Amino acid sequence: MSAVQILRNFFEKNGIGLGTFLLVAVFIWVVILIILPQLSMLDFSFRHHLPPPEMGGPKDTYTIEHYKYLVLGAPGADTSYNVVDLGVFGRTLIAAVFVTILDLILCYPLAYYLGQSKGGGFIRVLVLLLIIPYWINEILRAFAFRIIFGDSGLINEVLLTFGLINDPIDFIRANVALYAGLGYAYILLMIFPIYNVIESLDRNQIEAARDMGAPWWRIHWRVVIPYAKPGISSGCTMVFMLSAGALAAPQILGGPSSLWFTQIIYQWFNQGGNWPRGAAFAIVLLLTCIIIVLSMMRLFKVKIGDIGK
Amino acid sequence: MRSEGYLLKIFLVVYLLVFFGYLLGPLIVMSITAFNSPSFPKMTPWECLTFEWFDVLANDTRILNGIKNSLIIGVGTVILSVILGLAGALMLTQIWPKMRATYYTIVIAPILIPGVVLGISTLVFWDRINVMLGFETDSFLNNGIFLTILGQSTFIASYCMLVFIARLQRFDTGLTEAALDLGATNVQAFRKILLPFMKPAIGSAAVLAFLASFENYNTTTFTFGKFPTLTIELAQKVRYGINPSISSLAFIIIVLTVIGALAHEIYIRRQQLALANGAPVKAVANGFKLPRIFQGNPAAIILVLLALGGFSTIWFAQVYSPQECILDVREQKRILQQQKIDEIRQQRLQQQQQKKLQGPDIFGSDKKAPSGSGSAPQSPGKGAFGDIFAPKNLEKTAPDSQQDSKPKNPGKGAFGDIFAPKNLDKTGPQENTTD
Repeated sequence: MSAVQILRNFFEKNGIGLGTFLLVAVFIWVVILIILPQLSMLDFSFRHHLPPPEMGGPKDTYTIEHYKYLVLGAPGADTSYNVVDLGVFGRTLIAAVFVTILDLILCYPLAYYLGQSKGGGFIRVLVLLLIIPYWINEILRAFAFRIIFGDSGLINEVLLTFGLINDPIDFIRANVALYAGLGYAYILLMIFPIYNVIESLDRNQIEAARDMGAPWWRIHWRVVIPYAKPGISSGCTMVFMLSAGALAAPQILGGPSSLWFTQIIYQWFNQGGNWPRGAAFAIVLLLTCIIIVLSMMRLFKVKIGDIGK
Repeated sequence: MRSEGYLLKIFLVVYLLVFFGYLLGPLIVMSITAFNSPSFPKMTPWECLTFEWFDVLANDTRILNGIKNSLIIGVGTVILSVILGLAGALMLTQIWPKMRATYYTIVIAPILIPGVVLGISTLVFWDRINVMLGFETDSFLNNGIFLTILGQSTFIASYCMLVFIARLQRFDTGLTEAALDLGATNVQAFRKILLPFMKPAIGSAAVLAFLASFENYNTTTFTFGKFPTLTIELAQKVRYGINPSISSLAFIIIVLTVIGALAHEIYIRRQQLALANGAPVKAVANGFKLPRIFQGNPAAIILVLLALGGFSTIWFAQVYSPQECILDVREQKRILQQQKIDEIRQQRLQQQQQKKLQGPDIFGSDKKAPSGSGSAPQSPGKGAFGDIFAPKNLEKTAPDSQQDSKPKNPGKGAFGDIFAPKNLDKTGPQENTTD
């Protein structure tokens, strides 16, 4: 079938008006909103940092100086690699993995419990309670954790009152508040994919395994987890991507000495004023996240079509 | 076996408590701090019940302006992303099968792309379009509202599309075909068959899109330009100075959310009840049959209790004045401060006396310490304890007490002249005479 024929079929099926609307809307979304901005950012990241009048002029050539900067640091620096930025980058990825694992451990039992119970009022209330925090503003959620973990926050005050500690513990500097806040922010994105999959698991399979004498951990390991794999990987992907790309929580809850990679990007855009460099860093973040997610999917044999179900 | 099941049950209860404690605890703590009087949001120590932070919030022009911008952007985003999402979902059902996987990957990608990247790419792209077209830097292409709506719609449209896909999967294409066979045009079939079927999904996608737009930070922070949204304002406030008026805003949002969720729950319940009883939906949806709603519907009961609680709180807020309590707390703090100072003073004196007893003649320590009633302090204006009790120090240690009560004399703290340097000289000798 040639392209023209496909197009003709399409218009025959939808009529001219609706068909044009669909094509135009999808074109706007896919090309103008998704693809072109990304390509433009990619292109921009290879440009020199120039004042606006010189843009498009003779000096506006392609360069890889910004990527070089990320790896090697400023020319003439003491170290041969950009230890600061690369360190932040690595730490961000590791912390994002850590947050993902934390959420998975926390959410799997609940998702299993919700998925295997037969519904009813209690379960409905639980689901409602799960959803409510998700509608609260991200900033406010981070703010709540700051109230709890601050120097004169709830936890420190309680510990001090009971005499368990003598000086307030600096949870902010130790990044405890940050991990708790990030994990909190994306709990729902972990629970629902797993819950949806487990809900469709035939209870008889579990019964059968139990009748055969399998202990509970073996039932999970051999029956439930393999079945729930698409949900688990979809949840993990979303939590990982979102926490690696988080900006609000690190800004509010991050310790003074530990930056998040997105914060560096933010600084290049808002304080440094070097947009091409910020764009280059953003590209690196995007590509790394995609590579990590794709390799994880390959490793666990999950397709991208399973995400978002 | 039975004991194992028992253990499992205990484990489940503990786990649920921990989980929902983690989930709801922070929100509860934050809500409570909105009613506590210290100017830094804290739950402990509890000082006074106050509603002043709601007043502070209501008079905060930046927050109000942020809400306005958020509403404008929210409406724009809802319209754009519902349209795009619907078109995207319909396209998915028709697209050439070989293209489907690629297409799906592209339109689902914005959910996975970090919001920061989306914001940056939108900003960069439209800025360059602007330069290319030779517009001024303040043209509409660089307008914060325009950029934010586009940036947010990029990924919110994907959310909407997921909602539509879920609904479309239950659509019987035979209905459209039947309509076409009976002579309807394509547009008629779309408007009369598909669109009514999609209506509930459009409603929920719109709600979802609005909420996602309202709370978005990562994308908006790069695109907002001169139109900061509520979230941006909140973030700036939280980063550069916290006060409980933010808690009070959080409290309002939480209450609205809970009410919304409960109302939705009641609505669903009523429909289910109606269908279970064989009644047409409309019959139950209109009449307000209180008793039946309450039967086995905890959500409705909670909602009514909440409303009652809300009204009584508002009434109480009108009547109640925390001023007395705040003064009370201030007084208590003052007394506590006084006690601490007295203690330190006592300790110092004891130390001095011990030194004296140990043999002042040998070490000559009494030359340094102000011994006896007549000895003048070494530095004028400073008491025996250095400048610990200088008026300014008190201002540092007890900022709360300074807020309302204006010092009567300049140079003296809120505690009158109790801690003026000379007082120390007076009290010092008096206590000395007791030994």
